Amino acid sequence: MVVKYFRKAYTRFATYIYDIPPRMLAFLLIIIFALLPVAQLDVYTLTLLASANVMAIFAASWDLLVGRTGQISLGHSVFYGAGAYGAAALFQSFGWPFWMTIPVSILISAGIALLIGFPCLRVKGPYLALVTMSIPLVIAYFLSYFSEISGGQHGLPLEGLLPELFPGLAFADKLKANYYLTLSLMAISAIILYKIANSKTGVTFVSILDDELASKACGINVTKYKLMAFVISGAFASLAGCITAYIYRSATPPFFDLSISIPPLVVTILGGIGTIYGPLFGTYIYFFLDGYVLKKIIPVASWQYFGLKWEYAKLLIFVVIVVIFIIKWPRGIAKGTVEKLEDLEEAREIEEIEKKGDKTE
Amino acid sequence: MIDAIIVNGIIFGSMYALLALGFTLIYGVSGIVNLAHGAFFMIGTYIFSVLINAFSLSIPAAWSNLTALLTVIITMILTGIIGSIFYRLMLHQIVGDDLAILVVSVCGGLIFQQLVFIIFGTLFVPVPSLMKGNTTILNVRVPNGILLGAICSWLFFIALWLFITKTKNGKAMKALSQDREAAMLMGINREKTYMLTAAISAGLASIAGILIVSSTTGQARADIWLQPLALSFAIVILGGLGSIKGTVIGGFIFGFAEKIVAYAVPEGGSMVPAMPFIILLLVLIVRPKGIFGKRIEMED
Repeated sequence: MVVKYFRKAYTRFATYIYDIPPRMLAFLLIIIFALLPVAQLDVYTLTLLASANVMAIFAASWDLLVGRTGQISLGHSVFYGAGAYGAAALFQSFGWPFWMTIPVSILISAGIALLIGFPCLRVKGPYLALVTMSIPLVIAYFLSYFSEISGGQHGLPLEGLLPELFPGLAFADKLKANYYLTLSLMAISAIILYKIANSKTGVTFVSILDDELASKACGINVTKYKLMAFVISGAFASLAGCITAYIYRSATPPFFDLSISIPPLVVTILGGIGTIYGPLFGTYIYFFLDGYVLKKIIPVASWQYFGLKWEYAKLLIFVVIVVIFIIKWPRGIAKGTVEKLEDLEEAREIEEIEKKGDKTE
Repeated sequence: MIDAIIVNGIIFGSMYALLALGFTLIYGVSGIVNLAHGAFFMIGTYIFSVLINAFSLSIPAAWSNLTALLTVIITMILTGIIGSIFYRLMLHQIVGDDLAILVVSVCGGLIFQQLVFIIFGTLFVPVPSLMKGNTTILNVRVPNGILLGAICSWLFFIALWLFITKTKNGKAMKALSQDREAAMLMGINREKTYMLTAAISAGLASIAGILIVSSTTGQARADIWLQPLALSFAIVILGGLGSIKGTVIGGFIFGFAEKIVAYAVPEGGSMVPAMPFIILLLVLIVRPKGIFGKRIEMED
């Protein structure tokens, strides 16, 4: 009885949410996020949210490549690192202003994506995953081999931290400026990526994912579209790398690590692969779990039990979550919810039609 | 120098072939690209290190060769059990789904890495050499432990070949690799055979791990698994996927290539850790079919 009532209430609530146009919903969400700093958040939460925004860009770019065209990349850190090093080199060596370095290093990374994409497109599936996984590792080796240019293990410093661009601001305000900058960049890139994913080009990407041979037969230039996905995705990933380099004040070889390429995978699978909103939702869930639940409520990293090194348990937990999601719920949270809402909407329509049918009888 | 390249190339080539053998076996039989293969390499070194420490305290040093042999066998069995549990828990439900297999097996590797980090920390653990002393071949002084590694590898090649061609389970594996549906119609238990394959594959990886690590750096850490993974992938593609002969030949080519870089290129020693990745990239980008021209079958 009670369960039935709740289910009915939930269904009604869910259908009301579904009635809101998605554009409106996105707008509302952005406004809520923009109003967050007003609520007197502490330094930790603001920094966390800023890095969540950056990760959202990175994850959405990964999703465009992997979820839409089905080209599995396990080495997205190559663009992340390229963006970071590009920004650092331009800012530090050439003394360019901050606003110039970001677009230029994005362009450079897009060029790198084009260069990498050409040979990579000769291979598919697991081969592509392995190639993309190897490229950043090789680059990291070369960076430490040619340490005179790249700065070796210490990397390139980047002294103009993002908040320093607004001199005369208090520390808290600088954090807020940082947050707003990342938020606006995130919103812009998310909208662009979503538009691309749902445009004619995006549909072509999905057709390549579904059946490459059939797309070829329909006259689609598969190579061109695959390269296009590679370049667009690389450009946005490098944007995330640029901002991170500015936040951390340096570009170092760990920007090319495998551990950089894993979080986008985690959040995309959490949220739902193949949609652009999935990784965005997944990112905030990930950061909520990572920065709040596993830090404040269950502080796994500071456990002392059995003399084990619990600080490594965090990544373990996320990886296990990903495995469980892939095996048990491959649609992810956001995608699964949206699909459920669609089902409910359909059910409601059918119900209404049935009611009308009753009356006419 | 040429002597050194030839002798070391043969020795290390056979060990690399042993490493890649498990990878090609599980791919050939079940079609799983098991990216957690490198993790079994790492687990093998850890189990070996822990066991040999425990044994060296309780068993007199005069029996050290016997102890080493016993430890290797126990390690292989334990890693094999871990491998088949890994298959059963994580890969079994998603066989046939390429993207899911890739992601889950990479995640599996990371799970093993983090578990080992949690238990042992980030410090390197020592992996002692299997035998003491040196032998001179072609004016090249080779430590006995490394020579034993090469001999062990050959023993395992022969054992695996005999297993596949002579025993019932081995024939079942061969049948599954040739035609999955027909094999199942003939009454072959697919799950059982896959679990056995996963166990053998993990066991071979662990042996290769002990032999390679004990004869090169002599120490292991949880994040060493990526390099052997890239290495085995490169070898397997070089020799043609799923073919055991091709894998052995690929292993030798790889061993020689690495030793040539190490001995003949100035300051090449520092490039050796990056070699698996560079060769993998070169092979995949220049000739994705593999050297022997086997076609990569991506779609059914």
